[in-house]
Amino acid sequence: MADVKLTIGGRPYDVHCADGEEAQLIQLASVVDEKVRTMPGVTEVRQLLFAALMLADETQEARGKVEKAAPQSDSLRAAVALAESREAAARDELKATVEREKAALAELEAARQKAATAAPSANPSNNRALLQIADRIEALAGRVEQLP
Amino acid sequence: MELDLDESSLAIGRIERALSRIEKALASRANRPAPVGTAPAADQSALKAEVAAVIGELDRLIAEADRG
Repeated sequence: MADVKLTIGGRPYDVHCADGEEAQLIQLASVVDEKVRTMPGVTEVRQLLFAALMLADETQEARGKVEKAAPQSDSLRAAVALAESREAAARDELKATVEREKAALAELEAARQKAATAAPSANPSNNRALLQIADRIEALAGRVEQLP
Repeated sequence: MELDLDESSLAIGRIERALSRIEKALASRANRPAPVGTAPAADQSALKAEVAAVIGELDRLIAEADRG
């Protein structure tokens, strides 16, 4: 325990507090001292009574503000939760889009490879037929050119 | 030896040039006065049959290419 000497309204008070809480206690005493100093010329008991009443009034007012702000706080929390869920949905959608794009790319690559491997096997017969047609059309051209 | 794409392109080029030769020969023939002696009917029939056969072969090839 720590011994602390407080001065409120010009009068000294010796109090005890837990170790480490001295500064906090002195700061609180200065708040009481400030209230007491607003009412000079009355007895010590009345000064402390009025200081206690003013502090109780301030506490009640602060509590009212907190309760008034609570619904707003709830709304904010709800808005944050909604934003978070929307963000998660957007992230999921983006992820799905990326996956779809990857799948489409893989499909395209597979089709390209299939076309690349299929082309050599499909082309030879077509190429041979084309060459034969070229031979026949060239022969036809020769015959047409020699028509009387 | 199997043909590759370049040879296919060469074949198409040959076909185009041959068609151009035919077109030119026919245009030139149309502008000339009719010759005294005409080609025998059998020759002309054979020519027509060959033209029809080549066209049919081209059609078959194009249909095959369309089917992939």
